[in-house]
Amino acid sequence: MKLRMIAAIMLCKLLRFSARILHRGGTAMPGRYALKLCPNLLTLLAKDVETVAITGTNGKTTSARMVEQAFADAGLSYFSNRSGANLNSGIVTEFVMNCTLGGKMKKKYAVIECDEAAAKTVFGQLKPRVIVVTNLFRDQLDRFGEVTYTLQVIREGILKTPESVLCLNADCCLTASLAGDTPNEVVWYGMDKGALSEPGKADLSEAARCIRCGEEYEFDYINYGHLGGFRCPKCGYARHECDYAVTEIISQELSGTTAVFNARGEANTVNLALAGTYNVYNAAGAMAAVCTMGLGTDTAVKALESFKCGFGRMERFELGRSGATMMLFKNPAGCDQVLNFLKGVKESFVMVICLNDRAQDGKDVSWVWDADFESLASSDGRLTQVVVSGDRMNDMAMRLKYAGVPEDIILLESDYEKIVQWMERQEKHIFIMPTYTAMLELREVVVRRTGGKDFWEG
Amino acid sequence: MNFKICYMYPDVLSLYGDVGNVICLERRARWRGIDVSVTRMPIGSKESLSDFDFVFIGGGQDFEQQVLLEDLHSGRDREIISAVEDGVVFLTVCGGYQMLGEYYETFDGKRCGFIGALDLCTVGAKERMIGNIKFDCDSLGIGTVVGFENHSGRTQLGPGAEPLGRVLSGFGNNGEDGSEGAHYKNVFGTYSHGPVLPKNPAFADLILRTALERRYGSCELAPLDDTAELRAHKEMCDKL
Repeated sequence: MKLRMIAAIMLCKLLRFSARILHRGGTAMPGRYALKLCPNLLTLLAKDVETVAITGTNGKTTSARMVEQAFADAGLSYFSNRSGANLNSGIVTEFVMNCTLGGKMKKKYAVIECDEAAAKTVFGQLKPRVIVVTNLFRDQLDRFGEVTYTLQVIREGILKTPESVLCLNADCCLTASLAGDTPNEVVWYGMDKGALSEPGKADLSEAARCIRCGEEYEFDYINYGHLGGFRCPKCGYARHECDYAVTEIISQELSGTTAVFNARGEANTVNLALAGTYNVYNAAGAMAAVCTMGLGTDTAVKALESFKCGFGRMERFELGRSGATMMLFKNPAGCDQVLNFLKGVKESFVMVICLNDRAQDGKDVSWVWDADFESLASSDGRLTQVVVSGDRMNDMAMRLKYAGVPEDIILLESDYEKIVQWMERQEKHIFIMPTYTAMLELREVVVRRTGGKDFWEG
Repeated sequence: MNFKICYMYPDVLSLYGDVGNVICLERRARWRGIDVSVTRMPIGSKESLSDFDFVFIGGGQDFEQQVLLEDLHSGRDREIISAVEDGVVFLTVCGGYQMLGEYYETFDGKRCGFIGALDLCTVGAKERMIGNIKFDCDSLGIGTVVGFENHSGRTQLGPGAEPLGRVLSGFGNNGEDGSEGAHYKNVFGTYSHGPVLPKNPAFADLILRTALERRYGSCELAPLDDTAELRAHKEMCDKL
């Protein structure tokens, strides 16, 4: 067995090294071959590592990076799967890159972002000390089927690791249901009633009815989507009180958000360098995870305040006269959050929207009709021009037309080099909305011209 | 002229962007100077169906279909049948399409009775049929239709329903007999999301014209600039 493990580790390291000198990302492929050689490799490597695993539909990457920031600040010896390689094979590669040839881990801690579908197999192997589930929204229905199915595979994953402490988003009635079905200890986080002075767009389409009995929920308040104070009048299933709660959002600006986080009864005012209500949720989840790992609230607060997002999530670039912000969008809930954020932008702006339909984006692009692009049309002329690109740019342009965006401000351009040249000529701030694979490609072109980092360097 | 749209069960049947069909018809009517009203009818709504020109029902999750059955069988089913027989125009997609049939049988043999407005029935399977779809609707004079399907149910048409079209690429009703969707009186049932109408403007206008002709006798729809729509349509036609 030991020999198999060593052979798998050597193969994985070799493949990864080759991929790197050939300038391919090479995050998943080495792990895939290593697993063929030694199927329980991850179990063997992960047993001596204290892991925080993060899954859920939206906010995985940002939450993971926030936890990582706290680990770095605390001087812990840790590693993470930084480049979005969040399936089984990518996670294995990351573990192998952090172990010796003999299979001994060089780091004591890990922050692992885990795809929802992979949670089923990966959780049992990782045996994480803490599992964060951020939220569940419909996403890539062509891949996952229905959202209740996604919930089921996460549940199956958790059932294989009963010692893990769960940090659950109390405001998501789907996520919260994991608590009743698993023996694990639960730490709750969320956003209390009255925290938001102006709630975002409510959309209950995937969670209008009780996951337990089918009755229609009653809501005390909704922060956005279906996240809020839910209660089933029939079976009594209801939002749990939070251990880590956002009690007040003091200000929301383009440059950041100030909010009060109540950590087990102790109020902390935190200045996040991130915009968007969804990032306040990410911060609350990260705080719950960091504190559950035994680091102090002070460490969590300091990390949240110094954290700057990256890799396509509210990532800033020096482009054109006023700069650019890249905001990944993947599904209706995430897209609505980005569009809601744009409603708060006071100055006029231009946009680039790139819609792809590859496996990682979801092959079905129907969902763009569920997102509130109408809000761009009613932006009082603040949106002055929008370049539409990507494999499905024609569908995207049509969506904008039907949303009421004037056709004469919509430009179609498939060439990313030309788009970046266009961006360099802009006077106004540029908001870039790409789907996942479009983000990878467009970001690479942008990074090359602005001198940033490649993606596997994070 | 006033075009009255009823959007049925938006609270549970609005999963795959199907609301785009309502947005599309509303816009295409308004661009031609026709007044439009859209009435949302969630579960429990008591409003009558008889006064509408057009009824839309979309697709949803299996989980929520149970809840819907109670509402349907509390009298809504008879109302839908009489609206269908009365010539009200319907577009029903995926779950909404199956719902107008006789019944749905899960793959392990549990049967739930549906409305029976259309002569068709659906049997569930383990494997979902997922992907882009292209089908031919020449008999309706609207040429090729493109969209995206994602369903586990296999639908068989009885003699009382015509297929909406013939599959050129994809699965359609059951992946076997080449039929896609159903057409009966003024009901158009399909598995196609996409949403189906924006990218197939001829289909959208067929629905709009049929609905207006029923109420106002005759109706000439002014032509629109469909460059953007036809680009998206052609792109998918060429891809499949």
